[in-house]
Amino acid sequence: MKASRIVRTLAIWMVAASLAGCGAQTAQTGQNEGAQPPGQGQAQPEPAKEPQAATGGELKIAYQAQPPTLDPHVTTSQASATIGRNVFETLVTADSKYHVQPMLAESWEQSEDGTTITFRLRQGIRFHNGKEMTADDVAASMNRWIQISSAGKDHFTGAVFEAKDAQTAVLTLKQPTATAMAILAYGGGNYPAIMPKELIDQADPKGVKEYVGTGPFQFKEWKQDQQIHLTKYADYQARSEAADGLAGKREARVDDIYFIFTPDSSTQVAGLLSGEFDIAADVSYDSVQQLESNPEIKVDVAPTGMLNLYFNKKKGLFANEKARQAIAAGIDAESILIAAYTQEKYYELNHNMMMYYQIGQWSSENGRESYNQNNPEKAKQLLGEAGYNGEEIVIMTSRDYEDMYNGAVAFQQQLKNLGVKSKLEVYDWPTFTELRNDENKFDILVITNTPKPEPSSLAFMRKDFPGWTNSPELDELLVKFRGAPNLEKAMSVYDDIQKWFYEYVPVVKIGDGNSISSSQKSVEGMTWLDGLILWNVSNAK
Amino acid sequence: MNLYLVKRILALIPVLFVVSVVIFLIIHITPGDPASVILGESATAQDVEALRQQLGLDLPIYQQYMNWITDVLRGDLGESYFMKESVSEAIFSHLQPTLSLAILAQIIALLIAIPLGITAALRRGTAADQTVMGFSLLGMAIPSFLLALFLILLVGVKLQWLPVAGYKPLEAGLWNHLKYLILPAVSLGAIQSALITRMTRSSMLEVLNMNYMKAARSKGVKERQLIYKHALRNAFLPILTVIGQTFGGLVTGAVVTETIFNIPGIGQLIINSVERRDYEVIQGVVLFVTCVYVFINLIVDILYGVIDPRVRLERK
Repeated sequence: MKASRIVRTLAIWMVAASLAGCGAQTAQTGQNEGAQPPGQGQAQPEPAKEPQAATGGELKIAYQAQPPTLDPHVTTSQASATIGRNVFETLVTADSKYHVQPMLAESWEQSEDGTTITFRLRQGIRFHNGKEMTADDVAASMNRWIQISSAGKDHFTGAVFEAKDAQTAVLTLKQPTATAMAILAYGGGNYPAIMPKELIDQADPKGVKEYVGTGPFQFKEWKQDQQIHLTKYADYQARSEAADGLAGKREARVDDIYFIFTPDSSTQVAGLLSGEFDIAADVSYDSVQQLESNPEIKVDVAPTGMLNLYFNKKKGLFANEKARQAIAAGIDAESILIAAYTQEKYYELNHNMMMYYQIGQWSSENGRESYNQNNPEKAKQLLGEAGYNGEEIVIMTSRDYEDMYNGAVAFQQQLKNLGVKSKLEVYDWPTFTELRNDENKFDILVITNTPKPEPSSLAFMRKDFPGWTNSPELDELLVKFRGAPNLEKAMSVYDDIQKWFYEYVPVVKIGDGNSISSSQKSVEGMTWLDGLILWNVSNAK
Repeated sequence: MNLYLVKRILALIPVLFVVSVVIFLIIHITPGDPASVILGESATAQDVEALRQQLGLDLPIYQQYMNWITDVLRGDLGESYFMKESVSEAIFSHLQPTLSLAILAQIIALLIAIPLGITAALRRGTAADQTVMGFSLLGMAIPSFLLALFLILLVGVKLQWLPVAGYKPLEAGLWNHLKYLILPAVSLGAIQSALITRMTRSSMLEVLNMNYMKAARSKGVKERQLIYKHALRNAFLPILTVIGQTFGGLVTGAVVTETIFNIPGIGQLIINSVERRDYEVIQGVVLFVTCVYVFINLIVDILYGVIDPRVRLERK
């Protein structure tokens, strides 16, 4: 009896241990591969030895989505930008008012005809692998970005970067592009990061093999589906200007940042309440009350994007301009926004195509009276003129984003009041992004668009984006807009573009949304511009 | 016995073949693919198509299957589109948390279930029996995620005794390892114990009424020995089957529990891979899970023989 019991226990444990043993071993090698890219190891001093004034400590951030890669040339993912911007930097960047400011470039100069831009680079900037940054790295990075990124392909077709000397890079454009600098300064998804030439040369279609940049934090380790660990880069050369938006002085005030992937939102909130997380980057609107009632926690509002209704303009009812105008006339934007964002402080009614915080730079009185009309009678009349005869239309959205889904449900209810029969189809995000490319699958998409640095980057301006805007009038306006000698001149065309926006109605703008970010009171200095900014953030516990 | 083992392992081949074809078809017919996930939320159809070509996802589906299955037969499950590791590396690195959790949960389940089941059987019809059965009914009715959330709120947030979520590998120290696993293991184990308790009780009841029990008792065998040696051992076969099944479920992914507690195990690997359409990983994990199920059933069969010599004799 005794013997057989031992045999039994051993048998079970041997199986378990052999499997677990294999697991442990492989896990370790896997981690090591990710942890220390060759050439990044021993030469680096430990952050702790840094004598500079630093408050130290760490930031543990509960983060909903794991990005596909940190290589911003490849992916348009916003999650990738928010994490990667701590590691990679750009030639120029945007301040909080979206004005272009220098970052890795010392200065730049545009030629008279607007077709060449000469960048003088800052000296003594070192990549995290110790190599000094030169114009060769800039040219290699920027040319790859122009060739493979969506933004590069759209706005810089035929443009080339060349290294004139070690500290000078010249961008030659095919035609004058007023928006060029604004797009180069953008810090959201698909931003033009500067990386070492060697890594650019080795990259494959899925991205660079190592993450080496010039930013205030360096990439340490990526444990798949668990966390990304960044550490302070001790040799970082900060700019001297005051910090403003993404521009100016960047200082790593903590030694370590951990982005901990926590898909479940109740786990994020529980971890914040128990003190395990310092920041939860994007918490559910439903949890605000619970968080606000805790004296150790603060709740911040961060702009996310614009909630839009995208019409299928290729096929079906909404190929007709009148039908699109009908929906625009019949919509009560405010009640859709309440459904999507729950409270008034989490959305903004804004008739401009761009975000509310871009008012001043990108705003126009055109269209103010056409926004949020809430006029069902006019809508019904226009629908009649468009020849609507009671057919069922398909609204498509994704439940992976609660604002899109909740907004879509409220919108469907309003359609019913306008006498429009509809069906709401809800998919997970990857399915949604595939189906939306098929003009037979939907009539209206409900999407939140990320903010853009200038209007011609907005998704609905593109002929090839789902919804398929196709307007000769817009084409003309865009040529005028982009071909303007500088951004100031281009801005005068914005008025006309917004007028077109309310006549052609490529999308119905519902409003601007905010997301909720929550943190411990000990975390200070968080700001947002196209995502969370983590330099100059301290955590004194 | 050896011949039996070989037969069982050979029987795996058709099962795996069918599974491989079905899973391959299901994922490739589902809309969405890795290319669009890599390129992110605002990529255009053209960009996605270009990357599909570069990744070989535009080939006819039978050709993709042939490419994949020939690699699998050579022992290569392929590369993840997202993780910088191969599929087999990904499986093994995600297996460690899942195994730790499964073993701990199973231990907790057994510690609760076996004594309770025996007690209920011995005191059949009393208040003790009814209480135990009441709780086990409750345990079978409560979804494990509800218990998980309750435990997080009580033990993690209110009392702050244990961390609410996360995972530390065994190398970080035994206590560090365990403290992250206790809550998920309790929430899984408590639910599993409900079924095992019921099984233990009914199986014990059957045995307790056997004539050989009466004979043993009249022979003067001590009560303790009577229960554990004579009764429990004879009652154990059906219990073992249930244990094997629940353990299989635990190892192949306590998906919801792993998500709530943020444990990077097999369950999370499947969910994340489906969400990002990481074809190779999904296929590899499903094949692996199939193998594990068959393997656990095999072990349970072998253990039958260890516990009950009659089974062994029959097979010879």
